[in-house]
Amino acid sequence: MKYSILVMASPTAGQGSATAVSFARSLLARGHTLHNVFFQGDAVGNGLANAIFPQDERNLVGEWAALAEQHKIELILCISSALRRGVLDKVEAHRYERAASTLHPAFTIGGLGQLVDASANSDRLITFGH
Amino acid sequence: MTVILHTLGALPDSAAFNDCMRLCRQSDALLLLGDGVYAACPNTQALYQLSALGIELYALTEDLAAAGIHCEGTTVQPVDMDGFVELTERYSRQMAWY
Amino acid sequence: MTPQSVLFVLRHSPYGSDMAKSAIDAALAFAAFEQPLNLLFLGDGVLQLMPGQDGKVIGRKTIYKQLLSLPMYDVERIYVDRLAAQRHRIDLAAFPASVERVSEGEAHALMCDHRHVLGF
Repeated sequence: MKYSILVMASPTAGQGSATAVSFARSLLARGHTLHNVFFQGDAVGNGLANAIFPQDERNLVGEWAALAEQHKIELILCISSALRRGVLDKVEAHRYERAASTLHPAFTIGGLGQLVDASANSDRLITFGH
Repeated sequence: MTVILHTLGALPDSAAFNDCMRLCRQSDALLLLGDGVYAACPNTQALYQLSALGIELYALTEDLAAAGIHCEGTTVQPVDMDGFVELTERYSRQMAWY
Repeated sequence: MTPQSVLFVLRHSPYGSDMAKSAIDAALAFAAFEQPLNLLFLGDGVLQLMPGQDGKVIGRKTIYKQLLSLPMYDVERIYVDRLAAQRHRIDLAAFPASVERVSEGEAHALMCDHRHVLGF
């Protein structure tokens, strides 16, 4: 089956983001496909390049990035959520005259149209809240 | 007919918990995750409420373990992440309560 | 309902978090791409329908005003949790779209009628 995932949970509050990345790995291991993962609201923190995690805690940014690389999964951060939380790619950093991009390269910044696309093209759309 | 998988990630008596209790119907299944697993605590009002729904009840093993809850012998069945995916295969839509 | 339709379930108060804003942004995107959608205001989500809101005074967009734009996107009808609307004493008379008050059973049936359900 074709899945898409909507993550609403902050990576640093509750288990929502951690559960989402584990769920994504499990569905792929069961032979399903993952169309895309869309991050909205506080969930855009999952794409912060400079987040540092203590060694005995899960590094969710790294886990998402590994998943994206291994399975060619699109990880999309909602642009309006990302901008107001300072998650900027090179284009937005330049547009708003900020010093540097803060986005991890495994992620892209995109519009809600990509959530629409996920909904239209997936058998299952699974939401992970905080 | 199996129709909705409710995923409940909020504490007993929260607005999300109470709304979820109101909306569940016998054709559905309910998976507790995150803070939702506290509703699987034996001998609590929350677990009585869940059990009275008469639906399939599940809880995510890792969140149960993190919280220190043992639900063996209750109406709640522990499932791992693979079991969570399997539930989403069986139920054609999910409603996330959080 | 078409097989591709999406039900948005709005469950949070308008300004207590950015859930309401996120849900409306997403719903308007679906509408802009001409994807069929419906909105169900459930529990505390009915507070988004409270008339007389002014988000500007706290530096936020007014949720009610954003909801008023729904008919322009061909969202002609909204579904509202009857019990919660009564409990919070929400006056729905002035809302420009047609308002259907639903029981728990009807809300459940509504979920079952949609391809995907998105809980905000």
